[in-house]
Amino acid sequence: MSENTQKLINYLKRYWTLYLLLVLPIAYFFIFRYIPMTYIQIAFKKYSIVKSVWEMPWADSNGFEYFIKAFSNADFLYALRNTISLNLLDLVIGFPAPIILALLLNELAFVKFKRLTQTVAYMPHFLSWIIISGIALQLFAPSTGLANIMLNSLGFETIPFLNDPKHWIATYILLGVWQSVGWNSIIYLAALTGINPELYEAASIDGAGRFKKMWHVTLPGLRSTIIVLLIMNLGRILGSEFDRPYALRNPLVDNVSNVISTFVYTNGIRGLQFSLTTAVGLFQSVVCVVFLIGANSLAKKFGERGIW
Amino acid sequence: MKRVLLVLLACLVVAMSLAACGSGDSAAPSTSQGSAVSSGTADASNAQGLPGRFAETKKITVEVFDRAVDGGTKAEDNFYTNFIKEGMLRDYNVEVTFVPVPRWTETEQMNNLLAAGTAPDVCLTYSYPTVQTYANMGGIVDLAPLLESNKDKLTDLYSLLGEENINWNKDPDKGTIWAIESMLFQNKRINTFVREDWLKKLNMAEPTTLEEFETMLKAFKDNASTLLGANANKMIPFLLSVDIGWTADHLLTSFIPNSFTDSEKEYFANNFDDRHLLATGYKNGVKKLNEWYNAGLVWKDFPLYPAGDKNIDNQMKAGYVGAFIHNWDYPYRNGDDSIAANIKKLAGADAAYVAIETFKNDAGVYKKFLSAPIDRKIFFPSTNKETEASLLYLNWISKLDNRKFLQIGEEGVTHEVLPDGIIKSIATTGEKFMNSPYNIDYTMTINGLDLGDKDLTTKSVALGYAGVEPKYVQKAYELTSKDAFIEKHINVGPIKSEEGMGPALKEKRDNMLVQSVTAKPEKFDSIFDSGMKDYLASGGKAIIDERAAAYDKYHK
Repeated sequence: MSENTQKLINYLKRYWTLYLLLVLPIAYFFIFRYIPMTYIQIAFKKYSIVKSVWEMPWADSNGFEYFIKAFSNADFLYALRNTISLNLLDLVIGFPAPIILALLLNELAFVKFKRLTQTVAYMPHFLSWIIISGIALQLFAPSTGLANIMLNSLGFETIPFLNDPKHWIATYILLGVWQSVGWNSIIYLAALTGINPELYEAASIDGAGRFKKMWHVTLPGLRSTIIVLLIMNLGRILGSEFDRPYALRNPLVDNVSNVISTFVYTNGIRGLQFSLTTAVGLFQSVVCVVFLIGANSLAKKFGERGIW
Repeated sequence: MKRVLLVLLACLVVAMSLAACGSGDSAAPSTSQGSAVSSGTADASNAQGLPGRFAETKKITVEVFDRAVDGGTKAEDNFYTNFIKEGMLRDYNVEVTFVPVPRWTETEQMNNLLAAGTAPDVCLTYSYPTVQTYANMGGIVDLAPLLESNKDKLTDLYSLLGEENINWNKDPDKGTIWAIESMLFQNKRINTFVREDWLKKLNMAEPTTLEEFETMLKAFKDNASTLLGANANKMIPFLLSVDIGWTADHLLTSFIPNSFTDSEKEYFANNFDDRHLLATGYKNGVKKLNEWYNAGLVWKDFPLYPAGDKNIDNQMKAGYVGAFIHNWDYPYRNGDDSIAANIKKLAGADAAYVAIETFKNDAGVYKKFLSAPIDRKIFFPSTNKETEASLLYLNWISKLDNRKFLQIGEEGVTHEVLPDGIIKSIATTGEKFMNSPYNIDYTMTINGLDLGDKDLTTKSVALGYAGVEPKYVQKAYELTSKDAFIEKHINVGPIKSEEGMGPALKEKRDNMLVQSVTAKPEKFDSIFDSGMKDYLASGGKAIIDERAAAYDKYHK
């Protein structure tokens, strides 16, 4: 027996329990993440409920029938446009919001007040979009909504928060911010505690005020967290939640509220066109991966750590 | 260390063997159960069996809709399922097991069951496109040869459904039958309702023309403070929901010229949409709604609530609504929680909705468009190994005595018999509570009360609404099908371009109608026309063309 084999055996004798522990998560990922991926084939095949995925016949046009069908569907293209524009708006407005909230909370002097604010800000995160849409109706409906009743009694015009496409987009984005800002700020608040207090002291000695300290100490301290989260958000640029647009939409704003997930629901799942659904889903995932990798390598180019 | 490894290995082996058993274990206990039952009934057999009774016990599973009603019993195990089970065992020596499927997600659930190969032997759904989709994939049994060879044993099924409903979906080329249609016994659809007490207060007669109806709506609006007092600003002269095609049906279809239904081909080609969106003249009806909307006669917030949202009913229950169009018995349904009962509590003892006839078409007829007399679609998945027993089940459930018991239950518990034989429903709780009106979920082959005598049935239906004065129900019952147009069944087999398009086109229809109704008057035409253009381009036109071509092929 050579020396190396002996070493390996000794190594395994010593550490085999750790490898055994690793088996579980690997099995989990293999069974629940990788084996299901073989079903991606459905996008290129004519779906059948009774045949196994390996036996289904290939779709027309070299298997790309359903991709062609999706891209020649005007509704899909609208849904694609809406998905991108709503997600971009979410990114531009929704991404900085928790950072700002974290910075503000960090500056609060009264600990009790800070905790209360934090808790209140988290709460909407635990509400489902169905409930939020119910609240939104109670508040923003044109004639029975509380907000409009108040506006009317103060002599202002009714604002079509939900029944005009432009106003709807604003309502949609701001409700999203309201729902998630508190929760998303937790990670920044955690990162803030990791900043060395000596840096603040040094900055004070150098004569820096509150804003200078925020700009030169706090924000740089948060930078790597911000970048990681930004990369992950860019990876979701074409992803779409289902419950938020589905719960908030109504027939008057259909041309801005129909996103890929709602398109998949009505045309694919309810219309029993499972191959089409899978094709759209695959397209979505591929674009998301491209964005994720792109954003990551860009971050690395600028000297950040990235996510891998 | 070795010992630990051994223990781990042993655990693994046990776990794997358990997992391997998983697929087979359901078979083991059921076979033993089966033999026990068959040996138990062997001696009592033949005595009272019906033609086709099996010598040896067969087993089938049957789908039943589960509505999860408050105060209800278990859908798959209760007084009525036991009645069926006992009867089937006695008459045919077939052991029935019920499989509950949630009513409101039935299609999704059926997908899962079929994909997993665990669908019940006897399945039902309201969606024929679903059946067609599964049939195309080879997941459904062709009933045609089975019905043919067992016809002499299925007398009750044939006498209830008739050749018409049984052969409804027969493919004109291949002769396949993927599903038979159950019977819609009371073909009732829609009514127009107005507040009877408001008419009285304003000294107005029931409107009989569109103009009078419009005058009435305006009167409701102008007299809001008389009618609603402090709540005057909540007045809704005419209620609408996003399902405009349904909640304005009588108004919209009155704009369709009589000639449209005279041409069988034109009607068939444009009849994909069950709200008649593609009919000639429909646009004029929508324009009328647009006028009303802009004149403040229609509920302003309607586009925001999904059809079926409780908030819509609440407007009626609270007594803010002057008139609406809906299911023929809508205000009278649901006993203590009906709109009729609520409005009495909240708006005064004389408050009531009464059905009226007010929208005439170009020929001066109050024409009502009824759907075909078909209801649920019954099919057998290809996993069904007991097709004959399953057919006999359908026959058993179609037998008048059996379905009558299921529909009205036990005398003195769920109904009482009035002197002239009329059946009056009584509310009950406990094990004999019916989970659905007339136990529609157990009488798979029929929807609607049938006592075997037409006059008796009609009178009994009027008494089927606890707490509602029979005169209201009778009037609604009469008007909803007066001067009815029932479409002729034209069988051309599957229309390829309709496949998978139903939900998407339905959504497009609702969206374009809502957008048109709420448009500014000067923009109405452009919005309606562009919506229609989009509808046609997204599949509507292809469907019309294919339907017209198919009509020519089979019916020229």
